[in-house]
Amino acid sequence: MVISVSSKLDFFSKYAVKTEIIKPKRIAFTVKSEDVRHIFEELIKQHGHGAFYVSTIAGTDLPGENKIRLDYYVVLLPEEETIVIRTYLDRSNPLVDSLVDIIPGVLSGECETHDLLGVFFKGNPFLKRGFFVALDVAEKGIYPLRKDSGV
Amino acid sequence: MVCNMGVTKVIEVPIITAEIPIGPQHPALHEPLLLKVYADGEEIIRAEVNTGYNHRGVEKLCEKNTFYRDLFIVGRVCGICNTVHANCYVRALEYLLDARPNNRARYLRVLAMELERIHSHMLINAVMAEIVGFDTLFMQIMLDRERVMKAKEILTGNRVLADYMIVGGVRRDIDEVKRARIRDLLLKLKPRVEYYKKVFMEDETIVKRLVDIGVLKPVDVTSHSLVGPVARGSGVKIDSRASDRYDAYDEIPFNVVTRTEGDSWARMMVRWDETLEAINMCLYILEKLPFDGNPVPDEKRLPRVIPHGESYARVEAQRGELTYYVMSDGRSPSPYRVKIRTPSFNNVINSAFMYVGLSIADVPVALTSLDPCISCMERVTVIDLEKNTRYKLTLRELAGGKV
Amino acid sequence: MRRPKILGLVLRNFAKRPATIQYPRVKTPIEEDSRGVQYADLTKCTGCTLCALECPADAITMTPIPQGYEVTAKNPRRIYPLIDYSKCVFCYRCVKVCPVNAYIVTSKYDIAGPTRISSEEYSLSTLKKVS
Repeated sequence: MVISVSSKLDFFSKYAVKTEIIKPKRIAFTVKSEDVRHIFEELIKQHGHGAFYVSTIAGTDLPGENKIRLDYYVVLLPEEETIVIRTYLDRSNPLVDSLVDIIPGVLSGECETHDLLGVFFKGNPFLKRGFFVALDVAEKGIYPLRKDSGV
Repeated sequence: MVCNMGVTKVIEVPIITAEIPIGPQHPALHEPLLLKVYADGEEIIRAEVNTGYNHRGVEKLCEKNTFYRDLFIVGRVCGICNTVHANCYVRALEYLLDARPNNRARYLRVLAMELERIHSHMLINAVMAEIVGFDTLFMQIMLDRERVMKAKEILTGNRVLADYMIVGGVRRDIDEVKRARIRDLLLKLKPRVEYYKKVFMEDETIVKRLVDIGVLKPVDVTSHSLVGPVARGSGVKIDSRASDRYDAYDEIPFNVVTRTEGDSWARMMVRWDETLEAINMCLYILEKLPFDGNPVPDEKRLPRVIPHGESYARVEAQRGELTYYVMSDGRSPSPYRVKIRTPSFNNVINSAFMYVGLSIADVPVALTSLDPCISCMERVTVIDLEKNTRYKLTLRELAGGKV
Repeated sequence: MRRPKILGLVLRNFAKRPATIQYPRVKTPIEEDSRGVQYADLTKCTGCTLCALECPADAITMTPIPQGYEVTAKNPRRIYPLIDYSKCVFCYRCVKVCPVNAYIVTSKYDIAGPTRISSEEYSLSTLKKVS
């Protein structure tokens, strides 16, 4: 099982800057933020839409490093092996290419991450503020899950 | 739009659409969700899911509270699926601590989660009967659901909110008397569930209203990240119980139920079959419950510091794959980040494309077949707009928003 | 139109007694060890505030024991946990973390009413009054 999964991810080696393990046994590939879209395009091209789904997009604010970390949790089918595609964005200008036109399933995750952490997904027309907490908080430009938001 | 053979010109008729808001308070929708559908006559040409009526900010709340207080907070994300939420969070902590509960505790955890699956699936099937206007069946299923609620009360001490999971085990053990009583209740429940499954298979009202409504193709399921019975009803085998083999699922035999029809009826049938599977699993657990020590850890002696690290736990909740990401910085008594992704979050928001082409009366049926749980979904909130036009685009393009 | 599938079930139900329980005139049958009202036994409580710290709902406030009660020497600060049941989620975390097992648990659940209810009366009834 492990072998079949890793053969699916052969092309990852040219993108991965670093690999680490998120407990329990989820391999996390750290990639450059501009490569994220290429990776998913290549994944679709090589294995098709039926071979994986994007389970979660988890953003974490890291003010100490002045970064926002973005993790795409991808479940590879049919083995259901979870892998993580991890990228770091500049905290003052968190911008990453949207995947919503190639994988519609990321819509909920991208909208959520935008609303809570202020990550901009370039090319996603559905991003919107103000529906999260009360409008007054959103209008002040506060992103609640940032550590310095004061919420 | 008219285009006949031999006609060289296409006449564009502007479509006058009616905008119909369904929810957030609506007789046919029991959850605080605004489903805005645009109808041309009776036919839906576009649907939008507007959320944000039930937001509580649980993820932020988890960051502000300690690890052990969070255990009870995440259990209250959603009432119907509270043990799976707690289990997923507890296992995320156990991965960080490299702790493993004993076999008895792992079996009891599965027992609690499967009892919950039974009552949740019975509930949504009952609600579905009510939505199609079959209130008698609703009442009957809810009456029989009381048996499993009682079983859960015997096991955990409360009908709904179990608070059953703790790091390193469970919070109360069962004795022989309780074991026999739960077994008795489940044995009485089983023929009833078989009967209701037959009703759902054969009754004219149900079949007419559910079959071929809201068909989802397997490729749409994966590209839209739909999980749980919704995916399994379309023949996509996604079940983290079978793949992750957490807790005692590696030792308890069970089948992953899939169907190939992909319509609302198939999703409800998957739920009935899973209910029967769950009853069989519970009976197996009650029979084979191992005795390898006390499953109840002393809560006064739990580790005070959670080591630095990240963990990502998956659990197969009743509605699909539920994931928790927990990050600890190793110093503070509270988690650095907790990310909860509930199944309804994907199933409800990403499925707006499904409604296109249905008639207005079928929208509540299609929505209910997804088992929407807004309290799960809206620990954090999203607005999204799926724009669809009927005539020119493929389904995938539609859902991607290319208009 | 064929005969509805559940007709037999419906007809049988006519002969049965109603399933509805006329609460509150009739009590709901409940397990003896289900999680109901819990309160501190002040003869054991040391006033350590651990339960108040661990309470996920912040329902517990440490309150001074009023004058006129015989307080044990184990409780030098003369405080006790006052549970606000309208906030309490009955998770029994306080019961489980108490280092001296001072909590008394009951299965009493019918506490909803027009007034706020707290554990004051229950807890103070465990202490003797100064004669």
